[in-house]
Amino acid sequence: MDVQLKRGLLDVCVLAAIKNESSYGYRILKDMKPYVVLSESTLYTILKRLEAGKLLTVHTAEHNGRLRKYYEITPRGRRRIEEFQTDWNEILAVYRFITREEEQHDED
Amino acid sequence: MTKTEFLEALRTALPGLPPAELEERSAFYSEMIEDRMEEGMTEADAVAAVGPMEDIIAHIAAEVPLGKLVRQSVKPSRDFRTWEIALLVLGFPVWLPLLIAAFAVVLSLYIALWAVVISFWAVVLSLAVGGLGSLVAAAAQLVTGELRQTAFLLGLTLAAAGLAILMFFGCAWLTKVIARSTKSLVVQLKTRLIRKEA
Repeated sequence: MDVQLKRGLLDVCVLAAIKNESSYGYRILKDMKPYVVLSESTLYTILKRLEAGKLLTVHTAEHNGRLRKYYEITPRGRRRIEEFQTDWNEILAVYRFITREEEQHDED
Repeated sequence: MTKTEFLEALRTALPGLPPAELEERSAFYSEMIEDRMEEGMTEADAVAAVGPMEDIIAHIAAEVPLGKLVRQSVKPSRDFRTWEIALLVLGFPVWLPLLIAAFAVVLSLYIALWAVVISFWAVVLSLAVGGLGSLVAAAAQLVTGELRQTAFLLGLTLAAAGLAILMFFGCAWLTKVIARSTKSLVVQLKTRLIRKEA
């Protein structure tokens, strides 16, 4: 898959993993696992990028006597998800057009 | 491998990474390992789940900007002594031109490499334009009734177009290869800086 496309997709995947409630690194990986398998290093990079772009915020809270980082989506992050959905509908329309052409060829 | 051993190995493997960046990454991996252990995994399994050290290093080398690594690499590990500062100031007329020269050599090598690629593309373009030109000339000769010259010009058109098409694929391949190798050279350089082998 194209690198830029994949990067954009993964960013939205991580945002989707925290859109309902703030979450922490390991849980994000676990929630995404049935759909996308990410390595810790990749997740770290994505989280840093989203934080730099102000699409999420980070806060540290105590958990079982240690510190854990929690990631919370910002309004800007939510907008990114919405934009993705709009873009994707357009891509789907093009995809349907492309495969329709192929189906017609198959019938010929 | 225990968590402490893993984090220590990470620190040893990446001496070229800025300390703040190393600390933040270590904390991230440490949290991941602890979360896995809390879920019932053994410490060794939780560490293994983070992935091989080589993969982690390759990943970091690919994403940390070169400038950041160079800055960290040239940063002295302690404060300069007075005589060192004096030497640096006095040696300024010597080391600055040398530094500029070294930088210029690297830059000119890079430019020369791409100049080769650009010159090949120029050949493709000139063949295409030449082919088009001779086609126009052939049409003009046809109008004036010079059949032999028309045939000759048409032959030239075909030859130029054929060569241009063949060279186009060759050039596209060359561009891709050079782009890929310069990128991998940068990653190799970054890996060396991170591991301080250089």
